[in-house]
Amino acid sequence: MNAPTLLRNRGSFADYIDDRPAEHVFRVDRTIYNDPDILEAEYRNIFEANWVFLCHEAHVRKPGDYFATHIGRQPVFVVRQSDGSIGCFLNACGHRGATLITKRIGNATEFVCPYHGFCFNTAGKCTAVSAPRTGWSEQHLVLSEFDLTPIARIDSYRGLVFGSLSAAVPSLREHLGAAMALIDIFVAPVPAELEIVPGFSIYQTSCNWKIMHENGPDAYHAPVVHNNFAQAVIYREKREARSGVARTDTGRLTAGRLESASYDLGNGHTAFWHKRPNPEAFPVYAQREELARRFTPGQMEWIIGRGRHMTIFPNLLLNDLASTHLRTYRPIAVDRMETMIWCIAPVGEPEEMRVARLRKFEDFFLPSGMATPDDVAVAESAQKASFAFDSKWTSMGRGIDFKIEGPDAAARELGFSPQASSNSWDHEIAMQGVYRRWRDMMDSGEGRRNG
Amino acid sequence: MADPGLTPAVAEFLYREARLLDARKFGEWLGLFAEDAIFWVPAVGMDRAYTSEPETSLNFIYIVGRAGLEARVFRVESGGSLASNPLPHTRHLVTNVMVDGESAKGIAAFANTQVVAFCEPRGQQILTASYEYLLRREDGQFRIASKKVLLLEYLIDGYFDFFTV
Repeated sequence: MNAPTLLRNRGSFADYIDDRPAEHVFRVDRTIYNDPDILEAEYRNIFEANWVFLCHEAHVRKPGDYFATHIGRQPVFVVRQSDGSIGCFLNACGHRGATLITKRIGNATEFVCPYHGFCFNTAGKCTAVSAPRTGWSEQHLVLSEFDLTPIARIDSYRGLVFGSLSAAVPSLREHLGAAMALIDIFVAPVPAELEIVPGFSIYQTSCNWKIMHENGPDAYHAPVVHNNFAQAVIYREKREARSGVARTDTGRLTAGRLESASYDLGNGHTAFWHKRPNPEAFPVYAQREELARRFTPGQMEWIIGRGRHMTIFPNLLLNDLASTHLRTYRPIAVDRMETMIWCIAPVGEPEEMRVARLRKFEDFFLPSGMATPDDVAVAESAQKASFAFDSKWTSMGRGIDFKIEGPDAAARELGFSPQASSNSWDHEIAMQGVYRRWRDMMDSGEGRRNG
Repeated sequence: MADPGLTPAVAEFLYREARLLDARKFGEWLGLFAEDAIFWVPAVGMDRAYTSEPETSLNFIYIVGRAGLEARVFRVESGGSLASNPLPHTRHLVTNVMVDGESAKGIAAFANTQVVAFCEPRGQQILTASYEYLLRREDGQFRIASKKVLLLEYLIDGYFDFFTV
């Protein structure tokens, strides 16, 4: 049997990625989904070595608002500081390391450790300890020795907050690169701020995080895995005679070939769009006249006419397909991951729009919806099959024959420069960018480690 | 104050509903719901409290009108949903049934449940919840006007559906 060799015996992570552009071949070794050594290397070289998504600014709107999360293995919390800036600290008391923030979110001007009562302010400074006089002589109690550890870098773009445990990273804008233009389109059409709609979902899936990360840019699966969703919705809409924004744009799943494109945005980020068969089913359609005064016809086609999806490597998914959707995820074991999802919407939108947006979100994206469970089931089945070592390779070559280096016409219209474009959302070009980035980060990270 | 004789009748109705789900007689189960029935499973917020305004908050499931429930049944019976194929077998353990009162709107009833679901390859899933019902009397029978399911295990392992809570 061709069982996987240990990571330390591998020369390079390029061994896992069979990338032969001249021969139109792109494959990945399925060992990357089930080797625990590889997950450890991913924590070191990807999650704890570069920018990762933390939360939305709307999660920490007011001074003292905090949001507890993780960067790779490491627990952290994001906090709106008293000067209005956003900080992020390791979620471990500076004294004996108990978890300082035990809620997911909350508001406090002072954080009191539940173990020995040490106090910290929103800047992470230790402000008091319990019973100071009987434990230290005056000259040896230096509160700053207990200060919380800040993460190396924190920055946000258009409300999306990112952090890095490593200081040796490019600027966030450089990291996002071509993805910024698509984030702008996600955020910008509506002059109002975006808010996180009350309620969220958190679920764990028995698969490697990359299998679900691949599922995002993969539109090829949708007409197969989600045909039952489309048929169920069509049944319901006939029964209820729905119209306007209450309808769901099922055409994207049933119409056959749609005008569409997908992009390798560089740095492992991806995007795709498809022409919306029923643009009137989306809340933004009602604002088209106002928007047409501010945007060019080409931009309007992006905003009104196209369903859009993007992933920011390694842990953020943003889309405006059935509804407006923000998702982050993290590995918790080589075959287990945790996902958090939110519906994101303009502040103050009319109730009819908000209700339609939410119901469509619930229909599709939740672990109790009519589509996400099927994605989870497929991902878990792929995880089991990753142990078919003798078949070794997962193919991601679809669409190489149609690949365009750099931007296509639609990308030029919006003003972004992807590494590569392709003329269908069901191509696998974007995933190739994900795995090239994965390979390069893993190789350079292990290279640094081994000198 | 509700009629004290009502509790056994309501309990029997809830047990019958559970039995229909466990027997996968989803068509008969749908027949227990009024045409304008609400089926609501609130989500939780980041503060771990249940969402309370279903229209304008995110819910696990919020269906207004029996057609939405019919679509759910249609999907799991279609054979096209990998998550529902094979369909998990379930056992609903419905307990603590209490009638909270009767008004012009109907009979308010409470119960606890634990639902054990099993299928290959996911294995056993146990979900625990409280039910809050509003039952109407129609033609000498109860009809479900609304069913609210307050799920204990909001951190979901995999996925769940209308018949596993």
